[in-house]
Amino acid sequence: MNFELSEELKMIQSLARDFVNERLKPLERDILGRAADLSDARAYLPREKEVELVATVREMGLWGVGVPEELGGAGLDALGVCLVEEELAQTVVPFHFGDITPILFDCNAEQREKFLLPALNDKKKPYLALMESDGSTDPSGMKMKAVKRRGNYLLNGIKLSFSRAGDDYFAVVFAVTGRGVTCFLVDKDTPGFSVTGGGERTGWLAPIREPMLLVFDNCRVPAENILGEEGKAFRLGMRWLPQRRVVRGARCVGIARRLLDEATVQAQSLVTFGKPVFQRTSIQAALADIAMNIEAARLMVYEAAWNSDIGKSVRRKAAMVKLYTTQMIQTVADRVAHVFNGPPYIEGLPMERLCRRALEASAIELALEKQRSIIAADILKGLKI
Amino acid sequence: MPLPVQRDIKEIEGILNEILNTRCPPVGRCRLLSSGFGTAHSLNIAEDISGHKECLGCGNCVDICPFLSREPSRREKTEQRTSMALESIVGEDCDLCNACILVCPQVDTTIKNYVVNHRMVEVMSRLESRIGDENEPDLDLFLEEAISSG
Repeated sequence: MNFELSEELKMIQSLARDFVNERLKPLERDILGRAADLSDARAYLPREKEVELVATVREMGLWGVGVPEELGGAGLDALGVCLVEEELAQTVVPFHFGDITPILFDCNAEQREKFLLPALNDKKKPYLALMESDGSTDPSGMKMKAVKRRGNYLLNGIKLSFSRAGDDYFAVVFAVTGRGVTCFLVDKDTPGFSVTGGGERTGWLAPIREPMLLVFDNCRVPAENILGEEGKAFRLGMRWLPQRRVVRGARCVGIARRLLDEATVQAQSLVTFGKPVFQRTSIQAALADIAMNIEAARLMVYEAAWNSDIGKSVRRKAAMVKLYTTQMIQTVADRVAHVFNGPPYIEGLPMERLCRRALEASAIELALEKQRSIIAADILKGLKI
Repeated sequence: MPLPVQRDIKEIEGILNEILNTRCPPVGRCRLLSSGFGTAHSLNIAEDISGHKECLGCGNCVDICPFLSREPSRREKTEQRTSMALESIVGEDCDLCNACILVCPQVDTTIKNYVVNHRMVEVMSRLESRIGDENEPDLDLFLEEAISSG
């Protein structure tokens, strides 16, 4: 058993680490705000700065990090993607290395030119329209319908999208057709399709994400805009989606590592009752607990990613990763709060945003129950751990 | 809530097993085998209603039904929340999990005890064969994409 990363992976890791340390971390103040009342805090980097950073990543050859090479990405395997995402999660600057949802990887040649490549080249933003406004998080109870009329489909309904807004965009819409749920690609200028919300917030509201409303009013979409097959929307991206869960686990590990860094600096600099806090055993215990949790989670993530790379099914492993990392990040955030002498929601500190993200990651408790049932199903079928 | 004096399970065991073996939500028929409204239901009205066996319409059985939580669209077929409604919207698709019997306030505790003590083991193995269908797509993966994108 060899836990050593290959030379190539080590290189990718150090490239990503240097990029985050040298290019992204200096920009953190731009995001968090410099003014005392944080009136200049913002959700995203200015457009021109982002274009510059994307160009740098392209030069490094890491743009489209998880996108297969034949679709124009860097085509790293799952372990490589995990290493990169773990580094990227260590800063509060919202930036990614061409992270496109694998649902779009099933585009045909024509759709690839029209939708996937512009999305990958940052020209068009994909708006994932899965959820609806009735508060239900169960995609199988979807209400929006698409009716077939003379070779076209008429879309009617309202969707919520948490994707990032942009000037040019297209929607990836899930709607019920006669035979199950079908996925449609709807371009910005399609008549009957309109978007409300999604404006960029500044100031203390900046980190709050609000969904956009995508309204479809008798929106006519041609049959060639169906992504994949009719009625089989939930079979899209089957090859890539399970390992995305592992990658999200890697992000949690990255956030936790940064939180540990912040906590260490705090522990070394704060003096209470005439004694530096790091000399107190409870603080040392908190730091040790955090480090142990991170180490365990990281090994789980790497092992699951490695399993995915050698072609094994990662369904159960990915469920375990999700379950463990979301619990881990909550424990870590809690321990860090302990070191900081109170809840870490002090606006303007990097750790406030990091904790926010950490809790976002575990927002859906229901989904965690689902992970447990995936693991239990394998055990009941006779799996021995 | 049923009457304190309930029928001996031995008297009804045969018919009860027949009901539990039929592929249809068993709660309504189990209620009819029970002792009916207990005295706790007696409001200050002229007529004594204890012993009557009508469905209260509390909807517990509709809420607990695992089949309806997998296919919530069937609930829209009717606004009623009685055991009759449950039978008509679930029908032969019933999982035979017996959960509806256990939540019904009108079914005798003797019947519930019988179901738990004598019929739960087979329910377990039936439910076990249902879980973990690898070919069913995992919809949570899509939900996670939708929330974490951007």
